Amino acid sequence: MTAPTVSYALNKVLTAVARQHTMKPALTDDDLTGHTLSGPERAALKAGDIDALYRLGANPYLIRRVFRARFKI
Amino acid sequence: MGEVVAAALTSHAPLITGKPDIARPEQRERLYAGFHEVGRRLADARPELIVMFVNDHLQNFPYSNLPAFCVGLADDYDAPSAGGGAFMRIPPRKLRGDRATAMALLEAGLDEGFDFAYSYEIESWDELSVPLHFLTPDGDIPIVPVYTNCAAPPLPRLRRCHEMGAFVGRFVRAHAGARRVALVASGGISHWVGTPETGRINPEWDRLVLDHIARADVEPLLRLTHAEIERDGGNGGQEIRNWVALLGAVPGWKGEPLAYEPVAEWITGCATVWVHP
Repeated sequence: MTAPTVSYALNKVLTAVARQHTMKPALTDDDLTGHTLSGPERAALKAGDIDALYRLGANPYLIRRVFRARFKI
Repeated sequence: MGEVVAAALTSHAPLITGKPDIARPEQRERLYAGFHEVGRRLADARPELIVMFVNDHLQNFPYSNLPAFCVGLADDYDAPSAGGGAFMRIPPRKLRGDRATAMALLEAGLDEGFDFAYSYEIESWDELSVPLHFLTPDGDIPIVPVYTNCAAPPLPRLRRCHEMGAFVGRFVRAHAGARRVALVASGGISHWVGTPETGRINPEWDRLVLDHIARADVEPLLRLTHAEIERDGGNGGQEIRNWVALLGAVPGWKGEPLAYEPVAEWITGCATVWVHP
């Protein structure tokens, strides 16, 4: 069985934002301060690119909570 | 000796109560009727305690600390909190826990090979709030929640969830302090949440799951892999672990589907099932 892709770095920053109980279209440099992220991870967060975040290993429940406005439904 | 006097499976989704108006009225009313029928039967069974098989959605258990199975030891549970209540359009309320029974369950688990994690503070989201809004409107029955990781893979295997539920069932029946106990599991059936396929529902798979449960034919469900569920039931379909755990507690009992509605607007294949000998 192939282990699912998980990015702890992405999930850590998304958890921190989700705990503010705010939804955002995209994250800012301020949101990312103190987090160690790869270039693609940082770019996806700053663009609010929900598909890229999923591919990079962000948990879909966290993607939904933070970027709810990005979803069509 | 305790007695299992009732058992039920339901879906949970915040939109079921949070946005009732966006669903097609006939679907909404059929599903609500299913919830209310479970509530009526539950009341008739006069439980003194409800053991809930549920899952967190990364609100309580983050990636820094993720238990496979966790027993709630809280004095009470926000179900929902004020913030959650505003979103789910459910009045905030606190549901009483039963720490003595939960602790006894923990201790018994350690004796029998189920090393549950435990938590003294859990903020419930839809996993408790939505079904119990319908099932125990008075909120006067204490609960013991058993959380299974259904949201952050790798997840416990379905067979292990079934074994865990079987242990809980044995505990309920053997525990000297236990009383008339109801079992309720919430989650599923198919739904894709936060993935690129968000909004997809797979009624065919949902009916397959319901059919197995109706025949008490759980073995095929226990063989399902994470990948198969992800493909056919979506990441939300992984929550059938809660249902499978409950079915482990009542071997041979059959499910009677009271409602099944694939509600696109709530992005969930929604069901209520009464489980009986």
